[in-house]
Amino acid sequence: MLVIETMAGVKGGNMAAVRKTGFGGWALALCLLLVLSAGCNREPETTLKVLAGSELQDMEPVLRDMEAATGVRLQMDYAGSLDGAERLAGGEKADLAWFSHGKYLSLLAGSRVAAQEKIMLSPVVLGVRESQARIWGWTDNSNLTWRDIAAKVTSGELRYAMTDPTSSNTGLTALIGLAAAFSGSGETLKPETIDSAALKSFFAGQALTAGSSGWLAERYLSEQDRLNGMINYESVLLGLNAGGQLREKLVLVYPKEGIVTADYPLMLLNPAQREAYRKVVDYLRTPDTQRKIMDLTLRRPAIAAVKPDARFSDRLLVELPFPNSLEVIDRLLFAYLDEQRRPGHALFVLDTSGSMSGERIQQLKTALVNLAGADRSLSGRFARFRSRERITFIPFSSDVQPAQNFQVGDTAAEGNDMRAIRQAALTLQPRGGTAIFSALQRAYEIAGEAQRNDLSRYYSIVLMTDGESNEGLSEAEFMSTYRKLPEAVRQVRVFPVLFGEGDVKVMKRLAEATGGRVFDGRSGSLSQVFKVIRGYQ
Amino acid sequence: MRRWLGPLLGILLLGGVGIGLYFSAHEQQLLTQQVTVRGVIGSEKEDFFRDPRVIEALRARRLIVNVEKAGSRQIATLPNLTSYDFAFPAGLPAAEKIGRQRRALASYTPFFTPMVIASWQLIAKVLVANNLARQAEGHYFLDMKKLIELMNAGKRWRDLANNPDYAVGKNILISSTDARKSNSAAMYLALFSFVANGDEVVQDESQICKIYPAFRDVFLRQGFTEYSSEAPFEDYLVMGVGKSPLVMIYESQFLQQAAHNGLRPEMVLLYPEPTVYTKHVLVAFTEAGKQLGEALESDPALRRLAVEYGFRTTDVAYFREFTGKYKAAVADALVNVAEPPSYDIIEAMIGSIEAALDRSRPDPFGHCGHPKP
Repeated sequence: MLVIETMAGVKGGNMAAVRKTGFGGWALALCLLLVLSAGCNREPETTLKVLAGSELQDMEPVLRDMEAATGVRLQMDYAGSLDGAERLAGGEKADLAWFSHGKYLSLLAGSRVAAQEKIMLSPVVLGVRESQARIWGWTDNSNLTWRDIAAKVTSGELRYAMTDPTSSNTGLTALIGLAAAFSGSGETLKPETIDSAALKSFFAGQALTAGSSGWLAERYLSEQDRLNGMINYESVLLGLNAGGQLREKLVLVYPKEGIVTADYPLMLLNPAQREAYRKVVDYLRTPDTQRKIMDLTLRRPAIAAVKPDARFSDRLLVELPFPNSLEVIDRLLFAYLDEQRRPGHALFVLDTSGSMSGERIQQLKTALVNLAGADRSLSGRFARFRSRERITFIPFSSDVQPAQNFQVGDTAAEGNDMRAIRQAALTLQPRGGTAIFSALQRAYEIAGEAQRNDLSRYYSIVLMTDGESNEGLSEAEFMSTYRKLPEAVRQVRVFPVLFGEGDVKVMKRLAEATGGRVFDGRSGSLSQVFKVIRGYQ
Repeated sequence: MRRWLGPLLGILLLGGVGIGLYFSAHEQQLLTQQVTVRGVIGSEKEDFFRDPRVIEALRARRLIVNVEKAGSRQIATLPNLTSYDFAFPAGLPAAEKIGRQRRALASYTPFFTPMVIASWQLIAKVLVANNLARQAEGHYFLDMKKLIELMNAGKRWRDLANNPDYAVGKNILISSTDARKSNSAAMYLALFSFVANGDEVVQDESQICKIYPAFRDVFLRQGFTEYSSEAPFEDYLVMGVGKSPLVMIYESQFLQQAAHNGLRPEMVLLYPEPTVYTKHVLVAFTEAGKQLGEALESDPALRRLAVEYGFRTTDVAYFREFTGKYKAAVADALVNVAEPPSYDIIEAMIGSIEAALDRSRPDPFGHCGHPKP
């Protein structure tokens, strides 16, 4: 077989010549043989469906080379890690899973994993603006602890960006590392060793949250004067340092208690594809590929034969234990949401114009009701309104309707707080025109007023509209008022949701001006989009 | 030139196919005189059975061996266990479990390997300074009793004296695999229970109660553990002492790595005293399975090949030659070796780890300390 395939390579190039010689029959027979031996064309022999973490998009050049070398194509379907784990536990079909770590999936649905091999490594660490790190004596300080870092948060000097642990793996990994470090225990976390007070004071310094580590890094670039630190993969921080867009480089801090490393295991879910899986793993773990991955992605090699190069710190990296029970992880996550993080104030500017009638208003109601306890799935429970959170609905049509405020205490789906929110969502009535900018200005007035009383909250605005503004303030009028707002109020981000006939350009301009992000609710479900936005609130 | 290229290639191709057909017919003929043996093996022996030299040596004894791999502790539960000629797990308890599922004609122990602890020069130095280990020629012996006392007392690395290089807050624990899934962790449990039980094999529930929950907690306190013995050893090789100061492995893993020049000078072996052997037991269900067992035990070429995969066999001389060649500083003869407890005892102890990780299960030793109701 091998001989035949080698000849196919020669043969394919000479096909035209063969025809001219009058040996058409021969040629045809040959090509038939060659096609059967899979040597005539460049189509992949096998395509594997992969549920993968979104940060793996940077691996695409490696995967293209791999396809050429092995004939195996990975068809990547990107998902958040908890979301992906939930989908797989729910029985979704995929040949492979590939996230920054496989531990959550192993704990949730270990029986689905037939094999796993680590592909590359990246610890989750803190990057601090260089001048700041120098003042604090944090450059090259091997005695620095997470507690020292926490002290700079308490003094108000350190304002860092970190992703939401329920939507993004860096946040989850960081939370587990921080909880282990603050527990003061040198072994795996138990519910009783979680130091909630220490975690709470540490998260008071979280000045930016996000549902994805990539977006977090982008925002850091735009807001590097306001923020002076970021918790992210070592690879992302090194990438920013190499990217030339930072005014000041980030000093990577590896605290003494330890860190948690993402090890990117490629997991086989469909045992029938074991052979193709083997080819993929063998290719990715050869020294050449490992070096390519290191150069391209700034992640550390996963095989001993390739050493991390000079870009990587060679100091002792103490690895903190990862919990061995879902119960502990879930408790950490809910404690983060409901007790430790800065409480949020989420303002929802909701279009109830006539065009929202029917299916659209139904979708909106469902999305809100789901956040208020109706969605009992794992991801739904993580996305629901949080204890201590303040929710404001600002419905609008031709004019802005009275805002409805809710203070969440009890998060039980059957409790009064959640019930009141569901009630309000279900009574939304579509009629009239679309005064987007008047409503948005009202949202900023409410946020500004609230902020004067309580600066510790994390404010955000979701704008949900299905059309173009046709009443009230114009975009220009709104923007000129917005620019005159105090700085702290201007930092309240708008997250517009594209829906129906909403104006894409206007929504993008709004997100850009306020540091927010546009979400697309036109295809797929509005509920899903609202769940994703929760990572940014 | 092009005029004759096409037909020539065609002729070459057909010729090639013809020769191929001839050879495979010839092979077919050979095959009929040979015995095909089908078995299920622990994954740590897969490379051995795929080695062309092993395939050749087996073929010389008219054996064609097809293997499928599974976790050693999972083999007994395979629904198609009856379809194999043999099973070849790692570990006596796993073999015993298989023997209960399907009657064996015979069993063979062609190779074995001691449980060892992969560690680091700087860690070994600290252990010696604290009277927990003693240095031998290139390797160390570890006093398991003292180490277990420290582990049970919740001591951390920074609590040890004369420890300038590894004064970290991590607890002193040996990293292992998941005891529910993997034989190497079960072997660690065998060793731990023997030492904790005053250097006696645990034989009944009252003795389990005596050492409970210490034997369970050295697993639980590690946090997340992986399913296969390759994973923690790979972490040791790649992530270093920050992740893995002490890792329970098979000696054969370390030797295989040495033979591939994959070790660095700062990597050292600690031999626990006592240690426990992992015996690789071939359980033969059929005559064909018996033939394979006999071949592996008695064929000198196969024994030497097993040594090249790091296993110990009855060919002690070649083991010495092999380890000498790669300058792998192993302990030549181990005198202080414990026997693993019976299958039922090991399973009962593992059951308590299972129960702790899955709160819906009752604690099988919850009554320890109180008489059983």
